[in-house]
Amino acid sequence: MKHCIVLLTTILLLQLRTIAQDVYSCKNTTLSFFSATPMEDIDAVTNKAVSAINEKTGAVYFKVAINTFKFKKTLMEEHFNENYLESDKYPTAEFKGKILELPDLHKDGVYPVTVEGTMNMHGVDKVYREKGTITVKDGKPTLDARFNVKLVDHKIKVPTIVVKNIAEVIEVTVKGAYLPAS
Amino acid sequence: MKQVYLLLLGCCCCLSSFAQDDLANMFQDSTKKHEPVIATFKSTRIIQGNSIETLKKHELDFRVDHRFGDIGGEFGGGKTAFGLDNSSDIRIAFEYGVTDRLMVGLSRSKGAGGLTQLYEGLAKYQLITQTTDNHVPVTVTLFGNAVASGATSSTVKSDAAYFDKFSDRVSYTGQVIIGRKFNRSLSLAVLPTLVHRNRVTYMDENDVFALGAGGRLKFSNRMALLVEYFYPFRSQETKDYYKNRGRELYNPLSVGLEIETGGHVFHINFTNSTAILENQFIPETTTSWLQGQFRWGFNISRRFSL
Repeated sequence: MKHCIVLLTTILLLQLRTIAQDVYSCKNTTLSFFSATPMEDIDAVTNKAVSAINEKTGAVYFKVAINTFKFKKTLMEEHFNENYLESDKYPTAEFKGKILELPDLHKDGVYPVTVEGTMNMHGVDKVYREKGTITVKDGKPTLDARFNVKLVDHKIKVPTIVVKNIAEVIEVTVKGAYLPAS
Repeated sequence: MKQVYLLLLGCCCCLSSFAQDDLANMFQDSTKKHEPVIATFKSTRIIQGNSIETLKKHELDFRVDHRFGDIGGEFGGGKTAFGLDNSSDIRIAFEYGVTDRLMVGLSRSKGAGGLTQLYEGLAKYQLITQTTDNHVPVTVTLFGNAVASGATSSTVKSDAAYFDKFSDRVSYTGQVIIGRKFNRSLSLAVLPTLVHRNRVTYMDENDVFALGAGGRLKFSNRMALLVEYFYPFRSQETKDYYKNRGRELYNPLSVGLEIETGGHVFHINFTNSTAILENQFIPETTTSWLQGQFRWGFNISRRFSL
């Protein structure tokens, strides 16, 4: 019995250690989105999103503060925060998921991957399964992905008066360059 | 032994489910900051008075403000289509954001009161900004303007519009706007204001201090109710003198409905003051709600990003 407890503790400790070591993080992940309509193109970008990948489990995480998105028109930025994403109520968007067939992040190469998980945005959860690319160069992994978000899926209402100016489906682009988390 | 294995298995399961949250926990503190409060008011004006808002950098605001004639009383009623036939004041302005905190502007208005044909230069600066965590509880903005009349001088020496020299045409407003957004729908502001007119008529005062208060109650994503009141501190002698001459001084009270449509902000309002500029509506309002001397008016603001 005593041996078992020792074994258990060792396994636990080992596992905890490996978790910390197997994590790659990126504190300046770039997130941008684009809405195209015949009336108006709207785009916004932030490089203040954070992300982490667990090399062992394939777990992947993204988080962004909504009010860090920068628009070309400041008035749009205010409307985005106040009326559409309601960043006072829902200050962040979050993605928790898994990279299926995670490649060896120590081996240089370009690897197509599939990411599956739940995105919480505007307080609404939605499951996504999207394709992306992991590029490892000089032992440093970079993740690129582009996917579509339907506004109705996250209960983001567009009033009829501006319905021609805002697309129903928004294209989101993600780019993060990861380093081993210390 | 079996139990221990189960325990072991359980622990491992625990750990793997932890792993996901571990990633989230890494960034726990990344969103705790003193975030500035946005959209306390929707426009740089509450109704007539200033709000704490300034234009953002490189934004141009084109504004058209209009006040019609008295709805009731001697000059209102059906014969003037309840004031629609008359316009008591019109202001057209271009205002521009130099930085995210400093804006400047030029305007021309008809003027209602002692002086007409008014040219205004204004500047507004947001000094401190309320934060979402209440680290800073209020926003404080400073406003100042200088207004000159372009009218031909009156020939009657006792008139306000008799100009001996250029400085007789000029008046100034200095204002501190202290505002707070209490929640998503309610914002309030107090506005200590000093109006200085270089030339005034007999028994009037050059310096008039007033305390204003205004609020915005948002009842949908696009619409809000507005209210605004100014109390000018006038000497009893001045008030009595005006009253004896049959032109009693009143405090301006305005109510309005605000509609926002993307780039436009549209106000429909009702007010007893005839003038639009602080320099006139604070010291020179002689029209009263109770005598039907209130009017409807509108403000249109169109913002461009340059």
